[in-house]
Amino acid sequence: MIDSSAIAKALSGIAAHTATASEELCSADGALGDGDLGITVSKGFAEAAGAELPNDVGIALLTVAKAFQRVSSSSYGTLLATGFMAAAKLEKGKTGIAPEDIPGLVAAARDAMMARGKGNLGDKSVLDSLDAVAEALRDTPRGDMIDTAITAAAESIERFRDQPSKLGRARMFGEKSVGLADPGQLAFLRILEGLNGT
Amino acid sequence: MKKILNDPADYVDEMLEGMVAAHPETYAQPVRRVIARAAGAKKGKVGIVTGGGSGHLPIFTGYVGTGLLDACAIGDVFASPSAEQMAEAIRLADGGAGVLRLYGNYGGDVMNFDMAGEMAEMEHDIRTTTVLLTDDVVSAPKEEAEKRRGVAGMVYAFKIAGAAAERGDDLDEVTRIAQKTADACRSIGMALTPCTIPQAGKPTFEIGETEMEMGMGIHGEPGIWRDAIKPADEIAEEMLDRLLADQPLAKGDRISILVNSLGATPAEELYILYRHARKKLDALGVEIVMPLVGRYATSMEMTGATITVIKLDEELESLLKAPADCAFWRV
Repeated sequence: MIDSSAIAKALSGIAAHTATASEELCSADGALGDGDLGITVSKGFAEAAGAELPNDVGIALLTVAKAFQRVSSSSYGTLLATGFMAAAKLEKGKTGIAPEDIPGLVAAARDAMMARGKGNLGDKSVLDSLDAVAEALRDTPRGDMIDTAITAAAESIERFRDQPSKLGRARMFGEKSVGLADPGQLAFLRILEGLNGT
Repeated sequence: MKKILNDPADYVDEMLEGMVAAHPETYAQPVRRVIARAAGAKKGKVGIVTGGGSGHLPIFTGYVGTGLLDACAIGDVFASPSAEQMAEAIRLADGGAGVLRLYGNYGGDVMNFDMAGEMAEMEHDIRTTTVLLTDDVVSAPKEEAEKRRGVAGMVYAFKIAGAAAERGDDLDEVTRIAQKTADACRSIGMALTPCTIPQAGKPTFEIGETEMEMGMGIHGEPGIWRDAIKPADEIAEEMLDRLLADQPLAKGDRISILVNSLGATPAEELYILYRHARKKLDALGVEIVMPLVGRYATSMEMTGATITVIKLDEELESLLKAPADCAFWRV
């Protein structure tokens, strides 16, 4: 079971790793957007890692969503907050997240983020990464979950690299986005890498 | 930029501090940038919350008061408040009978208020509903009316839904009445000069010394045409024509009309607009109930005006006339 203290530890790991990757994410975003993605992600996780989490893992995930909302009003921050909220709803009242619940939580986050961001799968966005991870995790034994998720997120970047963006600000760049990693997908990969070793 | 302020970064917080200090019997700020009724939520009453950017007083914050709103989340000038602030507003407005979120249709506000509703439901088991104002006829064609922005029609929605909640209607009923009000409102704006966002320091748009823009939005969103300024009667004529084209009125219909200043336009000029609008509506045989002329929904020091027409039936008219009290409006 993943309890609130395990969630807190994971958040610290992600905060540290995304802070290191902040510059890389900002420059990837700068090529297709306003160039602040690294700051959005690292600030969001730093704020979440600093929050006091209650024992109820649902409310703990809600606290994470709120922390994200508080420090980053960008659309990526709002989308991540939406994903955390969706997972929070499913886990409310529990003191631990069962590993077998995780693929379902990722899928719920994907669906809620698609609805809020009005995006579709195949648009070349973080939604595709979530979808790839949710699918890959379905039959993965619990010990291998993080590795499987990282591999799926990395493959997703390569699968979409040579396609044009069809969502958000990157969409305005059309053909210029061909050949570039989607910044949102790249950020998601760095987030998952931050889970490693926690 | 020529403004009365200290540090531009403190503009909103100092404005709220002053407003609460001036009207402590009406407003309180229990949480930063959330204004609630000084007396707190009324037990058993449906709460009504709104929210949006600063820079529009009396909208949004000003209309917290008896017979009107219960709480309001307020953001930076022309910027959405956060979902967390909105969730706080919902919590502060809750008297145990559920909360209606009633606000204008702007992307950022909608996304944040949707999240705020989920938060309030999860943390405090508060049932919430939503009604969006989409009264600006210029902002999208009639076939896509749900994409229109919300402007001064909000004033009628706050008043009428507020009266329904105050008399004890339940959440579904208050929501129905708020939606009916929103559906009955049509607005259009025009502008002569822009305003300046304190933290940006530059005017929101540029316009020639002798020009006007018809159909401009409350944040300076582009309108329908820009040309040499016309006489007041022609301006009023065109604005009403566009409202009537969207919602036709016939002899015997009862309406209320709001002739609103965007900030810098004086009451004198609003009355000149009203004079012509009145003549035109009289000629149609339309009955005007409780006309409103003044500053209700502004864009700081923008020069210009908006006209809102709401088509009334017996239910809406009696709620519009019900008592209400805030620092900016008494009925």
